[in-house]
Amino acid sequence: MKLNKKQLIGIAIGLIGLIIPFFFHLEGLSDAGHVALGIFFLAAAYWMLEPFPIYATSVLVIFLQVILLSQQGFLFPESTAEYSPNNYTEFIGTLASPIIILFLGGFVLADAAVKYDLDRNLTRILLSPFGKKPGSILLGLMVVTALLSAFMSNTATTAMMMTVILPIMARISKTDPLRIGLALSIPFAANIGGITTPIGTPPNAVVIGALSQQGINIPFGEWMILATPLVVIALLFAWFLLLKMFKPEAASVEIDMSGKFNTSTNAILLYLAFGATVLFWVTESFHGVKSAIIALIPVVFLSLSGVITKEDIRKLPWEVLWLVAGGISLGISMKSTGLAEWIVGSIEWSAFGTIALLVVFASVSVLMSNFLSNTVTATLLIPLAVSLATSGIAGDGFNLIIVSLVIGVSASMAMMLPISTPPNAIAMSTGTIQTSNMAKAGISVGIFGIILVVIYALFYWPFILN
Amino acid sequence: MDRQIYILVVEDELEVMEALVNDLEQFEEFFPIESANSSEEAKQVVKDVYAAGNEIGLVLCDHVMPGQNGVDFLIELQANNAQHEAKKVLVTGQAGLEDTIQAINNAKLDYYIAKPWTKEQLEEVVTTQLTNYIMERKYNPMQYMMILDSVRLSEYMRTHKITDH
Amino acid sequence: MPSKAFSDRRELLRFIRQAITESPELQKLLRTFSKGEVLFQQGDPIPHLYLLLEGEVTLNHKREDGTELDLITLAPGHFVGLVAFTTGNDSLTTCICRQNTIALCIRQDEYESVMTDHPKLSSPVQKLMLSNMATRFQKNVQLESKMNALNKQLEDEGEQLKLAYEQLESSHQKLVHQEKMATLGELVAGFAHEVNNPAAALLRSSEMLKSNFGDMQTNSAVSSIFKLGLDSKPVNSTDVRKRMLTIQKQFPWVKERSQVRKLAQMPDEALQLILDYKKDVGLEELVRQFESGKFIHNIQVASERIANLVKSLKSYSRQDNNEWEEIDIRDGINDTILILSHRLKYLNVELDLKDIPKTCGKMGELNQVWTNILVNACDALPDGGNISIKTKSEGDFKIVVLISDNGPGISEEIIDRIFEPNFTTKNQGAEFGLGLGLAISNEIIRQHGGFITVSNREQGGAQFKIILPVRAC
Repeated sequence: MKLNKKQLIGIAIGLIGLIIPFFFHLEGLSDAGHVALGIFFLAAAYWMLEPFPIYATSVLVIFLQVILLSQQGFLFPESTAEYSPNNYTEFIGTLASPIIILFLGGFVLADAAVKYDLDRNLTRILLSPFGKKPGSILLGLMVVTALLSAFMSNTATTAMMMTVILPIMARISKTDPLRIGLALSIPFAANIGGITTPIGTPPNAVVIGALSQQGINIPFGEWMILATPLVVIALLFAWFLLLKMFKPEAASVEIDMSGKFNTSTNAILLYLAFGATVLFWVTESFHGVKSAIIALIPVVFLSLSGVITKEDIRKLPWEVLWLVAGGISLGISMKSTGLAEWIVGSIEWSAFGTIALLVVFASVSVLMSNFLSNTVTATLLIPLAVSLATSGIAGDGFNLIIVSLVIGVSASMAMMLPISTPPNAIAMSTGTIQTSNMAKAGISVGIFGIILVVIYALFYWPFILN
Repeated sequence: MDRQIYILVVEDELEVMEALVNDLEQFEEFFPIESANSSEEAKQVVKDVYAAGNEIGLVLCDHVMPGQNGVDFLIELQANNAQHEAKKVLVTGQAGLEDTIQAINNAKLDYYIAKPWTKEQLEEVVTTQLTNYIMERKYNPMQYMMILDSVRLSEYMRTHKITDH
Repeated sequence: MPSKAFSDRRELLRFIRQAITESPELQKLLRTFSKGEVLFQQGDPIPHLYLLLEGEVTLNHKREDGTELDLITLAPGHFVGLVAFTTGNDSLTTCICRQNTIALCIRQDEYESVMTDHPKLSSPVQKLMLSNMATRFQKNVQLESKMNALNKQLEDEGEQLKLAYEQLESSHQKLVHQEKMATLGELVAGFAHEVNNPAAALLRSSEMLKSNFGDMQTNSAVSSIFKLGLDSKPVNSTDVRKRMLTIQKQFPWVKERSQVRKLAQMPDEALQLILDYKKDVGLEELVRQFESGKFIHNIQVASERIANLVKSLKSYSRQDNNEWEEIDIRDGINDTILILSHRLKYLNVELDLKDIPKTCGKMGELNQVWTNILVNACDALPDGGNISIKTKSEGDFKIVVLISDNGPGISEEIIDRIFEPNFTTKNQGAEFGLGLGLAISNEIIRQHGGFITVSNREQGGAQFKIILPVRAC
């Protein structure tokens, strides 16, 4: 392992962040709170500067909490008046928390879908009604991408859609702005589409994880009711924007996708599992079986039937689960040590109105996740928002669920830079678009996203939740 | 990316080498090109490249050269643990059937380009071979999408679980 | 001797006849056979011993293939059935009477008693028997020597036939080879014509491109850098690498590696021009100008190479003229080396072609000789081996060509046979038109009035020595 200068600096900043709270006494913060603050600094530094992979930082966070803050750790074996330490199983338990299991189910389904080309075949079928006009093709691509990325990883969806649009782009004149529009449409749609379901993208998991710690369960279907209208409008806006910014010159576009559905027994088992699982997820509110429990169905069924093999399981993106678990785990000690409350208390929130607070959270979330991992952004911001809401300082309108949603959704609205999200990076790597193209369109979508999220937070979400 | 992937061109006739290198110019931004006029020089170049912490991703090699011929050079390269994953392409007008069989069996020859080549053909072969190399070595395909076969690299990303964070 | 034996036989016969006349018992043993009667058949046992007294019999042998052969005709005084009598075997022959014949017939088992009873008969019969045996032995010896002589004659004739066959084979090979060369020649002629046209077009176009390009450039820096490109020589990769390092220092603002490489291939003069003019003209523009010059130069060099190759190929195969003519064989050697350059590339070829007089010969055929020898050397040598080709004249009348290598040499077992037709150490025939056997080389040199020899050199390797007479056509 060779470290470059940037990595070394990152490591140093993190370590300093970890140690500093040990040397200063902060008024109103417990001793354990100081330790938690150190861990928070370290995590923030490592997640932002990435001297280590972010999933590695996540397990480091869990480990530090276990050895420093748990009942079994070195510092706080006994409960005191200001801190009753969590059992270490609470920290490591986050690795198997319901949202993680829900994601696992999603991963297994998506993995099997890719294995049996379900994603590609669905794309082929779903695109066919959109005709040949550039505008409608663009819309079709975006709708399909959003739909797939609601259930699959945004990145995997983008990669698959790239195999669809690259041949199209090759047939379009090099000077036609449609090429840029096409190249941007996929990552934009994938990013936005991820918001649709709890398993669409990891920030959603962070939101759900944080809320469940507060005893709030958001059923799968309810999340979709909350998110889908926003997704549809954001998607339409992005489509309209791309069409206006990059006016197509070509009169018609040929999509050349051939193939047929895999009809092997395994593939059919997969289709059934996929359909049944999604159906049960969406109808959670009716039957009441928790989505995480439903998520076990495909895991059990597909591995029993041999549709997914040992090799497939090995290749699942486990590091995403670590990342989310680390974030949830950090929230636990921030709350139990009183750190979150202290941070919230040390800022004069009442100076802001509810709207202003929502705008600030949405903007900070979009801004941060443009530069950082969306999940990290959600992980760092949500504990604050949760404490703020539960403390009641920000007033009644500042609902816990709504503010978490604002942060989670806003994190997915970041698509300004190639580094903002992996889908953006993939689109950029094709070499068809300039960073400026992406920035212009991405900023517009981001600003529109902030406005949209705030409007929803003020009107639509309270209406649904009540 | 700290570790650079080199293209090595081995050709004894200087005009031909120049033409080859010129035709590969567009790859140079991503894959630095090194050239050698003989097998012996090529071996030194390979050594230097690896010593600097870089690697050879593709070798384009003439067959008929003074000293060790191209096929024997490729066989030697194949025998070396560090370098046997490099893609090997013969660019020649003169390798007979027997030499070619040798190259395929013992050097795992990946492609045979008969002189005279065309720029399109050369680019296609280089693109395909480097794409294979990137995928076999499991390198992050994203940074090569622009220059290599982006459809295949996308497909690779689709099936290899690159995820969002 | 025969005459004596003959007279003895007559004498003895007389005694015998007398003894018979005197004894009625013996007269009973006389038997008369008429002409054409068969005494015994081949393969029969012969119970009697016959002593011919009158008439003539023929012994006839029937061979396995069914043909009959008259072996001998016996006159009075000869025994018939003597062999069977002494050995007890069945008859080897059939005995037929040529005339009416009288013979004394003695049963074999009675022979002893007859002889004892008639002592007068005994002595002449035994003597006669001995004389008979002697005659037969004598004949046998004569036959043996005659057979030997015949065998010898047969062998000689066989030898001559073999020689004739070999000559036939050799001329056949040569004919086939000539046929091949003629086909090759036709191909080459067509090929040369087809290739020469585009090569000429290439050459001319590059000339015109050069002048057009030169005219178009108004800026002096651009035009001088273009001219430098025209005169540039390709730089080998080691130097390019070294220069790339210095270029990076000299032109720190050039970031692209491909651009650095291009600069590294330029002479210092051109680099200076770029440094001087970089403000007026962009670096890329100047590099492109230099490259344009270089490309035109490369086109010219390449098309000249094509034209030269075609010329060599033409003169090598000598389709245009394969007649006896005054030739300088060094031209042929040079052409051959060029044609074989793909093989000789791996070897070090040392040329020492001293002035030699022209001689009368067929260039195309002689080239085949050089090709044969060189191809064989290439096969025998490892990469990096040495071949040396020397020509010199000895006196005013002899040209000597020495082609030697430092390979393993030729093993003593085969060195005497390598000029024989059909001799090869290769498994398969050589490539078309090349290396068709040293026998042909030998034949070609012989037709030129010279001879070719091969030996292993003391320091290792084989050496072919070709001596050709200087002749006028």
